[in-house]
Amino acid sequence: MEQLLTSKKLIAKVALALAVLAAVVFVCSRIGTEDVSLKAVLAGPGTQAAPNPDYEIFIRIRLPRIILAGLVGAALACAGVVFQVLLRNPLADPYILGISSGAGLGAIIAVISGFNWTLWGRSPIAVFAFGGALGTVWLVWFIGRLTGKFHVTGLLLAGVVVNAFFSALMMFLTSIAKSDQVYSTIFWLMGNMKEGDFLVLWIAAGCIIGGIVALFYIGPQLNALSFGADDAGSMGVDVVRTRTIAFGIAAGITAVAVSLSGLIGFVGLVVPHGVRLVFGPDHRQLLPLSGITGAIFLVIADTLARIVVAPAQLPVGVVTAIVGGPFFLILLVKYSRKVSWLK
Amino acid sequence: MSGIIEVDNLTFGYTSETAILKDMSFNVRPGTFVAIAGPNGAGKSTLLNLMCRALMPNSGTIRIDAAAIESYSTKALAAKVAVVRQELAPIFGFSVMETVLMARTPYYGSTGFEGRADREIANDALEATDTARFAYRPLTSLSSGERQRVFIARALAQNSLIMLLDEPTNILDLKHQVGIYDLLKTAQVEKGKTIVAVTHDINLAIQYCDEILLLGAESGYHIGKTKAVLSPEKIKEVFDVDVFAGGIGQEEFFIPLGKFAKDSIKMNKESGNI
Repeated sequence: MEQLLTSKKLIAKVALALAVLAAVVFVCSRIGTEDVSLKAVLAGPGTQAAPNPDYEIFIRIRLPRIILAGLVGAALACAGVVFQVLLRNPLADPYILGISSGAGLGAIIAVISGFNWTLWGRSPIAVFAFGGALGTVWLVWFIGRLTGKFHVTGLLLAGVVVNAFFSALMMFLTSIAKSDQVYSTIFWLMGNMKEGDFLVLWIAAGCIIGGIVALFYIGPQLNALSFGADDAGSMGVDVVRTRTIAFGIAAGITAVAVSLSGLIGFVGLVVPHGVRLVFGPDHRQLLPLSGITGAIFLVIADTLARIVVAPAQLPVGVVTAIVGGPFFLILLVKYSRKVSWLK
Repeated sequence: MSGIIEVDNLTFGYTSETAILKDMSFNVRPGTFVAIAGPNGAGKSTLLNLMCRALMPNSGTIRIDAAAIESYSTKALAAKVAVVRQELAPIFGFSVMETVLMARTPYYGSTGFEGRADREIANDALEATDTARFAYRPLTSLSSGERQRVFIARALAQNSLIMLLDEPTNILDLKHQVGIYDLLKTAQVEKGKTIVAVTHDINLAIQYCDEILLLGAESGYHIGKTKAVLSPEKIKEVFDVDVFAGGIGQEEFFIPLGKFAKDSIKMNKESGNI
């Protein structure tokens, strides 16, 4: 007989998932165009005159990239979970309220303006994408509020329209831009992992992991919200507070992820569904497990992106869609009897 | 006598020009079972939503357990009023036990998990509603009648003084209709709950409820003991339908008869109207 989730069971499951993540990170860090010997890495960075190439590749290039992929995957998966329950819509993903087009528009404006500065080692593209993403979510939220207290339909429609409008602006700017600028924008839009410096990585890790932990603590309230706002309210859940926190964090970590890696599709849709199908809908479990699974998924996808056409690289967004699609369909068929909205 | 729900000069309209509830005042005494009946669009569900603060009145006051409804925190109000809404469709496949436990959400500790007391309360609610048999089945695999019992179990697990229900039996067959009313009556008698249920079934209300609030679309409202309020004339006035009234036991029941109902035709023939 199925039993209730307890904190002990949850800790065991999360620990197990983290172990799998560690194993995946270890394996993926060993794979690449250059063979890196662990022994040589452990020997340290070497000297200024004679740097240790194995160490440089492993610590400065490969590991940061894997950590970045893991963070982005975790952020997108958890944001997907939150948008699905807040909008009570299984088709929701982190980009549903226009974050993608806002970030894209920000990115292309940065590319066209030819800015030539950096902020914490990030290009203007990342900074503008971050601003565009958050600005768009705020705009959609604001328009949604004008349509009523928290009208899911109003919010979704506002998202669709803002998305379409910003996409049109993006296409307009793309069509008048110079061709090399267009190329770099399109490449950005396909989603890519870049080797960033450690400061950015730490800041991003703080934002994303902190956000996911905070979301975990409103898990019971999110469970109640999946029955609708009125019902959650009459059960004593502070709906406005829960929604505001959940929405703000989900939008924030999505914007961080997008500014780090561009638009990577499918993770935020597939991972929450996959985890929910296998482990059930309880958000206290769904959020941490989705975060870890999202990290595992994107680390593997990015490793594939690095090696499939080596020495060239694929955009990781292409890999997630190609791998994620069929994988999701298999899950869907296998577990569809467990979920309600498929009936 | 003071009521556990005191409604005073309540006026509400979804638009500012047209009020659907006008200047209503009534009290619900603690431990009574009250039915709200009336034609479609009269504002029955609206009144229910006002009594649980899902809506706020345009003017007038509602007091719950001697304090203004707006003075409660969300959590404190949930300890006074539980609601069972119509056709609750969860989007994700929670199990029966998970659903009932959600009523305890405001009492979860900092860990985000229910305590042993919460589980006992949920188990009691499952036992009381005869739903413990399928505690670990997903809600979506249940019949409408079973699901309605689960939502009543969830309302019971809230341990509130008052339970509001919006048409709890409108999609159920005869056996499940009386099953739900028996369940509510038990909660009233054994746990001392105050129960307010919106219903279209006047005859069930007569059999189970102490009082009835008859809400007319235009004709105002009537509240009192079911026997005192309900009569063929009152029903004609509020619902605009002719009824046949009769009794088998101590209560009178009412059967609506339309123009072409077989017995209407027969009676009209006999009286020479055709």
